This record gives sequence, structure tokens and C-alpha cells, in this order.
Amino acid sequence: MVTESRPGRIWALVAAQAARRGGRVSAADACVAAVAAVQVSGAWLIAAGGAEADHLMWATDEVSEVLAELQLTLGEGPDPDALAYGGPALASDLDDLEAVRRWPLFASAAGQAGAAAVFVFPLQHGAIRVGVMGLYREWPGPLSGAQLGDALVFADTATLLLLEAQDRAAGEVAAGSGPGGQPAGLAVHRAEIDQATGMLTEQLGVGIAEAFIRLRAYAYAHDRRLSDLAGDIVARRLRLRPDPDPCQDGQT
Amino acid sequence: MDGELLSETFVELTDTLVAGFDVIDFLHVLTDRSVQLLDVSAAGLLLADPRGELRVVAASSEAARLLELFQLQNDQGPCLDCFRSGRPVACADLAAAATRWPRFAPAARQAGFAAVQALPMRLREQVIGALNLFRAGPGALAPAEIRVGQALADVATISLLHERSMRHSDTVNEQLQTALNSRVIIEQAKGKLAERLGVDTDQAFSLLRDRARTSNRRLSDLARAFVDGTETLSGLNASETRAGLPADRQPRQ
Repeated sequence: MVTESRPGRIWALVAAQAARRGGRVSAADACVAAVAAVQVSGAWLIAAGGAEADHLMWATDEVSEVLAELQLTLGEGPDPDALAYGGPALASDLDDLEAVRRWPLFASAAGQAGAAAVFVFPLQHGAIRVGVMGLYREWPGPLSGAQLGDALVFADTATLLLLEAQDRAAGEVAAGSGPGGQPAGLAVHRAEIDQATGMLTEQLGVGIAEAFIRLRAYAYAHDRRLSDLAGDIVARRLRLRPDPDPCQDGQT
Repeated sequence: MDGELLSETFVELTDTLVAGFDVIDFLHVLTDRSVQLLDVSAAGLLLADPRGELRVVAASSEAARLLELFQLQNDQGPCLDCFRSGRPVACADLAAAATRWPRFAPAARQAGFAAVQALPMRLREQVIGALNLFRAGPGALAPAEIRVGQALADVATISLLHERSMRHSDTVNEQLQTALNSRVIIEQAKGKLAERLGVDTDQAFSLLRDRARTSNRRLSDLARAFVDGTETLSGLNASETRAGLPADRQPRQ
């Protein structure tokens, strides 16, 4: 059911995909790797700046592209639901009464496009929302417990990779800051990290996504474990300030 | 056990089926009720996340020392044992548990607890989490109390599924993940409010919760709006809290 090595295993799959491509690990690699690992027919990635979907960032195949664009046009479907409600939107059978009730337009259009089941995961961490990852299958049926768990960790990985890509200093920060390049905080969850992130929005005068990026960048730059750094901030032993150089200020 | 409070608690649960129900606040109410109804001093509800971690989503107190005891149990402890086995796990005297849980037992004792009980949150064949109860004095819970505790854990499970049909396994997973993410939003909001007002994070939580109730909003919605910046929580200030930070803290850059 759940394994302790899941984040490490998933990261290895994503990194292997990037290596096959010959490029730096990106959220698109998480998408592609998820298709094989979760055993679905295709995947797509939508970027969002907050509660509204922005645009299609990546699709592994034509059907995925159609499913993503359909939802952007209709404003209806598991993509907008996942973004709005802050949780996965799972439909193991688009012919099901439940799916038709939830998305009357999307359910039938998606079926015509060749999808029998869709599983959409918000790319989020608390109030930080950067998009959604959608998966579809040509056959109906739910994800197994193991597949669902894997899909959720693929989504977490994509979230961190998207945030890193957004970081202006992404060129200086390695694709991952943990051992073997795995993003710090992927495998371990600590409440202090989230509390410290919230505190930084006030200390730096930035939004929650930027605060999270800055927290991780500081940990990397000072060679500190993310959870230890967060503990210092929460205990008020350490306080971050906006850069004195206005060009590097947290305000965008 | 207070029979009236017990009846009241279960009657209250029918309120959970109405629209606008706030599941996160309800889970906190359940942990409060656990402390009031049972002979325990602290309670926490933990859910398993896809990484394999047990994460607290609601507790009778947001004191850091208590929350730390929940986080500690990802390596060892009654909750982990309970989650893995799907069966209740109890220890009537943590002083004798140093071999069983070499890190958890001393930490729990240091936090002022002498006994512990964990009860599984079960949904059909799946164990989705645990209700963790702590006692200040040694001794096991009476069988009648354990039955009530298990019923409270079962109610917590049911409340996670209220919004849609329980027929679909899809629904369960959607609600679980939403609840776990809501907790993260609340932690982010605690940090932001604690920093803004110069109070501790557990005081920040109380302020958030009070404001959610008086303004009739879901706790997680209010927390999200506050973190996003669309809600300023105007009118909340440190003087509403019991104690702010000492003025002589010297933070280093």
C-alpha cells in the first residue's frame, strides 16, 4: 500500500526520463514518467497563477491536448474542479452518472475524444497553486491504491519542479537540493516548513509561492536542511529580510 | 463519562450533513470532544498521506510540543503500530515502554504524558489514519471509553465523506487529499498570522478558528483567503491573545 521509499522511487523515474531527454529535470519529465508508472494513456500539465487555469504547458499526446483544451474552453471539468477545491478530481468512468452530473459537457466530449477515465491532481502545496496534472485512460476503472499514491507523488514532484523553474535564481540552484538531486521537502513533511513559509510572506513582503521558493533557496545557499532552517525561523532564532538591492527585492 | 455530552456529541453530528459544513473545524471539534468525554488530556486525528506519512489534521491543542509528538510517530509509536495493524494500540505506562518505542516514549513522557491509546480510522478494508489519545496519568482507558473513542474515530472517517456519495472510492481519496492539503493551508496561515501579530502559532490558530466561526466561514477557506491576501483579518490584534512575545527577543539576521 504505502512505501517509505516512494518519493525516492518516483524521483528516480523522473530523473531517468530527463536523462533520456538529455536535459535538466522539469515538470514535463514528471508528466511523461507518470504515464508509464501509473499505467495511463496520456498526461497533461496546466499552469495556473492562482485559482484560475492559465494555459496548457505540456501534453504527452493529442488526446491529452484535446482534453486539456476542452476544459480551458468550457471552464468545466476535473481541471477547474481540482484547482477550485484544492483536491484531486477523479472519475474512473466518464459514462458514470456521477461524472455526467458533475461535468455534463465535458464528460461526453471527453468520451468522444477517446477518454474513458480521467484523474486530475492539483499542483499545490497548501495555498500555493501552480497548476494541475491530468491523466486519462482509454479504459474505465479506478486507479489502484498504489497507482493513486504514485500519481500524488508525481504531482508533488511536478509542483516543486515548476516552482524551481519559476525561481529567478533557478540557474544557480540545482534542479534538486537533496541527495541525488531530489528536491528538498519532497520526501519529508514538516509543519514547521509550512509555518516558516507563512512567516516569510510577512518578513519578505511576498506571496506564498515566492516565500516558499526563497525559503528553499536560502537553505540551499547556506547548506542547511530545510526542516532545520524552518525550525529556526519558527522559533524566531532567525529572521529573513528583503534584499537591500531593489533589483533583487522579493517584490515582483 | 458525561452521558448528556455524549448524546449531544452524536446529535451534533447530524449537523454535518448540511451544506456549508466545515469538515476541518468539525475534526477539531471531535478532538475537543474526545478530551471532554474520555479520561484523556490530549487528542489528535492523523491521516496517512501518499508518501507513507501519518500527518495530524486536527488536535485538541496546537501546542508545538503536542504536534511534535504526532510527527515523531512516523518513525515509531502507537499511531504507526495502529495504522499498520489496523487494530487499537495502547500503553498504560510509558515509563515501561522505552524498549518498545525508544524515542517516542521518553518524548511523550517529557511532554507530560504517562499513557497513550491509538484507535484506527477504518473505511471498509482500508485504514486511513488514527485517533491518538494521551493521558497525563498512567493506566489504560476503560473498555466503555475505548468503545466511545472508536465511535469518535469512525465518525471522523464518515465526516470526511459527507459531501458526496460513499459509493465511489474516488470520493474517499479526493476528500482525504483535500483534508491533508487544508492542514497545510492552515499551517501557512498560522505562520503568517503569528508573524503579523507577534504571537505564537498556537495562539494564531485560535484566532483564525474564532474568526472563522464568528464570520461563519470554513476555517480552511478563511485560512486560504488570508494567505492569498484577499482576507486581511482586520480587527484582529495581539491584545486579543493571552500573551504576545517577550519584547527582548533578539533575532539574528
